[in-house]
Amino acid sequence: MKTARSPNPQTHRRKRRKVSLREILIMSIETLWNNKLRTALTMLGVIIGISSVIMITSIGQGVQQQTGAQISALGTNVMVVQAGAARRGGVSQGAGSASTLTWEDARAIAKQVPDAKAVTAFLQRGSIQVVRGNINISTTLLGTDLNYPSIKNIQPQAGLFFTQADLDSGRPVAFIGSTVRDELFRTGESTIGADLRIQGKRYTVVGVAESKGLSGGQDLDDAIYIPLTNMSSQIVGNNALTGVSINGFWLEAADGDQLNAAQFQVTNILRLRHGIKAGDVDDFRITNFVDIMSTFTTVMGSLTLMVGAIAGISLLVGGIGIANIMLVSVMERTREIGIRKAVGATSGSILSQFLTEAILISVVGGVIGVGLGVALAFAVATIFKFPFVVPLWSIGTGFGLSLIVGVLAGGIPARNAAKLNPISALRSD
Amino acid sequence: MATMIWMEGITQTFHLEGMDLPVLKQIDLSIDDGEYVAIMGASGSGKSTLMNIIGCLDRPTSGLYILDGSDLTTLDDDELADIRNQYIGFVFQQFNLLPRLSALENVMLPMIYAAVPKSARVTAATEALTKVGLLDRLKSRPSQLSGGQQQRVAIARALVNHPALVLADEPTGALDSKTSQEIMNLLTELNQQGTTIAIVTHDASVAAQTKRTIHMVDGKIVEAANGSVQPSANNLRPDAAIV
Repeated sequence: MKTARSPNPQTHRRKRRKVSLREILIMSIETLWNNKLRTALTMLGVIIGISSVIMITSIGQGVQQQTGAQISALGTNVMVVQAGAARRGGVSQGAGSASTLTWEDARAIAKQVPDAKAVTAFLQRGSIQVVRGNINISTTLLGTDLNYPSIKNIQPQAGLFFTQADLDSGRPVAFIGSTVRDELFRTGESTIGADLRIQGKRYTVVGVAESKGLSGGQDLDDAIYIPLTNMSSQIVGNNALTGVSINGFWLEAADGDQLNAAQFQVTNILRLRHGIKAGDVDDFRITNFVDIMSTFTTVMGSLTLMVGAIAGISLLVGGIGIANIMLVSVMERTREIGIRKAVGATSGSILSQFLTEAILISVVGGVIGVGLGVALAFAVATIFKFPFVVPLWSIGTGFGLSLIVGVLAGGIPARNAAKLNPISALRSD
Repeated sequence: MATMIWMEGITQTFHLEGMDLPVLKQIDLSIDDGEYVAIMGASGSGKSTLMNIIGCLDRPTSGLYILDGSDLTTLDDDELADIRNQYIGFVFQQFNLLPRLSALENVMLPMIYAAVPKSARVTAATEALTKVGLLDRLKSRPSQLSGGQQQRVAIARALVNHPALVLADEPTGALDSKTSQEIMNLLTELNQQGTTIAIVTHDASVAAQTKRTIHMVDGKIVEAANGSVQPSANNLRPDAAIV
């Protein structure tokens, strides 16, 4: 009557069979697949957590890089002196608005300031009408001298900048920015030697500048450079008795350290030349880019801090999300744990299954979250035109955190549930 | 006839808010291999607690319990899980099927924990479901089955590891009378094929269909009906091994 069952307690211990890891993995996958909604919701917590961390850090880094690039594009060893700060009735007229600076001032500075490596004067007007054939555009016209390309780091991509001879005789020649070229010329059309009409006067194109891109929302390529002499006589038309009026000049020092000395010397020479008495205000304004740089460095520091704080918060929120849904998911499965234990599951196999599920959810959700975060960051960078950078640490941190949180939040309640007396687990609803 | 269950001086005391609450008081019980037993009693009589101890879902506070020749008193949690897996099949009032699994998958569950390979699981589970008349519902989920059918799935699950003992806790409690009778007929049939079955119930008509009824009142066995005496007929403690 009796079957071949063991009558001896010792044999139970020997007979014990362990559920293989493969079996646990299959069971976990089946459970996740059979509970698609719960799996999807849990995974969503992981996905949102990781993708927000990656997206926010990527955007933060992109903006930082762009800001940094813009600042260094301005030059770290240059300053600009602009006419103005003249006050009438206590109202500042704004830099560059008063014609207090002349080309002679700029040339005197170049000669007399020992720390000035190079000086370039400029006279500019915005919204100048430029016509070629039947195309009519409005752009910025800038009259300058031959030092401008080197100080402002402008390279020709076709032709050359105008020459000393052009400057000396005030010839109507134009070196155009790439945006102007794109607006006036068809792709592949020859630009050098072509004629433009600037405010009704004929100019010949001698070169096209390499693109400089956007800076602070301003298109640096939307400009035409002509000889300062020509600008002064033909476009602005104010041949002052005192000389050629300019908006200002750029000064390049050998390096950033000499800029403050140069600023001091420039101030003294200009006050002397303009006959400004002690106690009276300057009729010019100096912007020193070393000062600006250090301000921006401080701003960038706060920006980095802010990005870090936001990333930290989204990590926290993501982590809480994952923890929450894992906890709820295990709680509602207490009865399932009871059933599995009643049919012979050990605490270990229950725990292995729940841990495997938590790891699967964290890993799969993590991969999707990384993909989504990178894609979103790319989209935002493309739309708002800043560099697309994904810091590797953000992927690592996001992924690692979701795994740790997932395993802890899935594992700890699962361990507690697995330790429950099967009776209590079965009674739960 | 061999002894399946041998219990001596089993007590179970719960601790509630600092109070000792004795639920089982010195239970002596023996059930032989192939028996068909009902454990009857009012609510609170301790019959469910006794069933939990017989089923290794819970441990007694004291006493000796030998199941199919194995002393269970000294086993740890994992060893008890093995005993449940290999020696005992459960049938619950509320069926306790996993809702997301098909009938076949539910029946295969105990075999997963017995580390039976998949092909053998499918064969054995199909066989068990055929035995309870559900060959055509292998792929159905519990929600797609009637209460009677769900209980049949539960019975198939209880049988699939060829347990020494099937324990049924109010197996007809959630079913109408016609379906209840079908389930009882199935259990009776299984017992005739040699399975030892113990049913916990408060329903006298259910108990009447078994071959022996054990009455419990206030944590004690008061009377063994159907002519059996306590302890069981052979009156010998199985010589198994007390570790």
